[in-house]
Amino acid sequence: MLLASRSFCCLGIRTYQLQTDLLSRSIKLSASATMTFRQKNTRRIEGLDSNVWVEFTKVAADPSIVNLGQGLPDISPPNYVKEELAKASAVDRLNQYTRGFGHPSLVKALSQVYERVCGRKIDPLTDILVTVGAYGSLFSTIQALIEEGDEVIIIEPFYDCYEPMVKMAGAKPVFIPLRYKNDGNSASSADWVLDPAELANKFNSKTKAIILNTPHNPVGKVFTREELQVIADLCIKHDTLCISDEVYEWLVYKGNQHIKIATLPGMWERTITIGSAGKTYSVTGWKLGWSIGPQNLIKHLQVVHQNTLYACPTPLQEALAQAFWIDYKRMDDPDCYFYSLSRELESKRDRMAQLLQDAGLKPVVPDGGYFMIVDVSTLNVDLSDVDAKQPYDYKFVKWMITSKKLSAIPLSAFCGPETKRQFEKYIRFCFIKKDSTLDAAEVILKNWNKQTA
Amino acid sequence: FFCLSLQAKMSRPVHSRRLEGVDKNIWVEFVKLAATYSTVNLGQGFPDFPPPDFLKEALVTALSGENHMLHQYTRAFGHPPLVKILAQFFGKLLGQDLDPMTNVMVTVGAYQALFCCFQAFVDEGDEVIIIEPFFDCYEPMVTMAGGTPVFVPLRPKAPENGKMMSSADWKLDSAELASKFNERTKAIVLNSPNNPLGKVFSRGELELIADLCVKHDVLCISDEVYEWLVYDGKEHIRIASLPGMWDHTVIIGSAGKTFSATGWKVGWTVGPNRLLQHIRTVHQNSVYHCATVAQEAVAQGFQREFMLYGKPDSYFVQLPKELQKKRDWLVQSLDAAGMKPIIPEGTYFLLADISNFKSDVPDNPNSDEPYDSRFAKWMVKNKGLAAIPLSAFYCRAHKNNYSHFIRFCFAKEEATLKAASDILQKWKQEKTSP
Repeated sequence: MLLASRSFCCLGIRTYQLQTDLLSRSIKLSASATMTFRQKNTRRIEGLDSNVWVEFTKVAADPSIVNLGQGLPDISPPNYVKEELAKASAVDRLNQYTRGFGHPSLVKALSQVYERVCGRKIDPLTDILVTVGAYGSLFSTIQALIEEGDEVIIIEPFYDCYEPMVKMAGAKPVFIPLRYKNDGNSASSADWVLDPAELANKFNSKTKAIILNTPHNPVGKVFTREELQVIADLCIKHDTLCISDEVYEWLVYKGNQHIKIATLPGMWERTITIGSAGKTYSVTGWKLGWSIGPQNLIKHLQVVHQNTLYACPTPLQEALAQAFWIDYKRMDDPDCYFYSLSRELESKRDRMAQLLQDAGLKPVVPDGGYFMIVDVSTLNVDLSDVDAKQPYDYKFVKWMITSKKLSAIPLSAFCGPETKRQFEKYIRFCFIKKDSTLDAAEVILKNWNKQTA
Repeated sequence: FFCLSLQAKMSRPVHSRRLEGVDKNIWVEFVKLAATYSTVNLGQGFPDFPPPDFLKEALVTALSGENHMLHQYTRAFGHPPLVKILAQFFGKLLGQDLDPMTNVMVTVGAYQALFCCFQAFVDEGDEVIIIEPFFDCYEPMVTMAGGTPVFVPLRPKAPENGKMMSSADWKLDSAELASKFNERTKAIVLNSPNNPLGKVFSRGELELIADLCVKHDVLCISDEVYEWLVYDGKEHIRIASLPGMWDHTVIIGSAGKTFSATGWKVGWTVGPNRLLQHIRTVHQNSVYHCATVAQEAVAQGFQREFMLYGKPDSYFVQLPKELQKKRDWLVQSLDAAGMKPIIPEGTYFLLADISNFKSDVPDNPNSDEPYDSRFAKWMVKNKGLAAIPLSAFYCRAHKNNYSHFIRFCFAKEEATLKAASDILQKWKQEKTSP
């Protein structure tokens, strides 16, 4: 299946995994051979079948495993959010199609919230597209604006879908790594930076876009105004678009500020800013996201959307709109969920960092987001007898899941081919977890050295 | 040098070439018109009655339960309870042993299932046969995938004895269909029951298509979203159950149409793993997960229907019974008003010939907008009655082939259908009174 080798489509020699019924057995063998060849997959998805999540979410699904891998909260969304969904689904007409590009009350709410944040007018009908998660926004943006012949700059480590999406659009990903300033002893995500000269070298006449992710998954970096200005200057100079994935925009910790690159001079007209209900309201299973930008770019995303899934679910959009109104009204109040969630997560972050430090590890404390990466090479777990072809961190996580009952995600899943070596000693933990989950993780980490591998 | 390359970039359009020719969309325009002008909306295809109580209850139960993890990601290729019941349910209908993990994939509506199919199998240079009239998204989706749509029409033959025309009177010419298949043909899109006509393809017609698919090794993308909406005791036959076709078919279904909940946007694909694996690849690189809680509720809905299958209480028995009454009611109203309906064998749409009303909307030789489109726009603005022009369901070259039909949706409350009838009667009276 998907875990099997990347090459598929063998001419003629194939084992059908299904029982075929009596009637199908009447197909001649020669027809079987041509059948396999003819119904080959398209070029656009060649080599894009494997996926770290398919691998690791299956493995971690075992309930006896403390799951700090995939980025989903096990804390409850706020009660009013759940209530709004119950209310919305009780309204008959909200169970039928809504406006394709975004339910009217939702795009109105989004425009209000983001007008306030960005300090500029945002037209709900032309400047916003509602999508199936931020994932859907990334896809719509890339399909709308990127094609063969284009290059897209991706900062490593990167949320893993950027690379296959760019490839599926026929374009070439160009990678640039975050590098740590201090020699290997990074304690904070702020220590991971782009080299401005190295970045400038990646831009050329083919560069259609750069994908920015701030706050950053997996490192947790919150790009500073100065860092964003460096990127903005290059975008303007080379007339490059900026795809800004800001799903963790509200999750920034004390001493940090989330800055929207679209608010920098000259950037609104060339930036698509992407947000997520899942991350904003701890409802990843609602799969609602949005793209915000100038009409002349958003209109192309809308064309993709009308030819891919047309409309997003209505009751979820209505519930989200209501939740946004509740929090919009208290954006000056510290109780606003946008700020209260961040405070809640900051203490979980600090606890997670402490647990890892107590286990003798050096976590990279994130300035934002709900992930934390840590170098595990200091634990000296010898996995040389395991499958050599896999990067160390993949082997480590699989070993950790089986022998320690704790899961994480290997960082090399978030890297291009050249940098995998550099990042293969890191793994990523997710800390948007309830206290009992973190308690269980604590027990495992405290007892780490007591068990032999 | 630097300025020249920048100028070159700035003079290129910002959007990708794959969007060329797919930017127009009839729904954006007509939905807006209906929202602005209509008092009676028989246009866009959605029920104005609620989903069944058991489905709404399933959602409430899911939301009120202790398990708040229903608000988080579920399995990307389909929430386990849903794919399990779909595999059971459709396995039984198809006489196949279906593996929920590999033979079923959940999508954001049938719309996204179609998208995944085209992206997975249609490359530049591939041809895809589309039967006209067709649900309008097939053409731009094929185009966006770089493929070439090849159209073959259903041709109407007037019934004898002055009977009212039925969707069964529209047929494919078998020689014409066969001539459309060649070595570049990658797929054919079959939609049965057919939107907008309401045709339910017969076994003979399906065998014709199946033979050609097997002979030419062509994939059949079978859009069966209206599978439960068949009338007059007709049978919806699944082409995948014909000899040789399981391996050549991807079946597409819709919770929106099945359970009268179009706003939930839950659909699915069913097929052999060999085909679904590529659909999964597209899905994991485009949308990845579908909303969890709707899938949970739809799974509950299917569980209930599995238990009640074939019994009088089954929603799949009751819904078509209700809709058949509504169909007959609308057919009668249209006939009485002078609009000639084509009786649909299935779906919740029907076409009506508006020739008797043409005097209200004069021909305009200067306009390249099809007549029926102009008519439908005039009708919603002046009579408050929304319908969709048939030309929306034809390729540009054929938009004027049938210039005097509009499509009505009859999945509406009695009050709505009555209000439509009142508008039509008044309109008829205005025409006949001096």
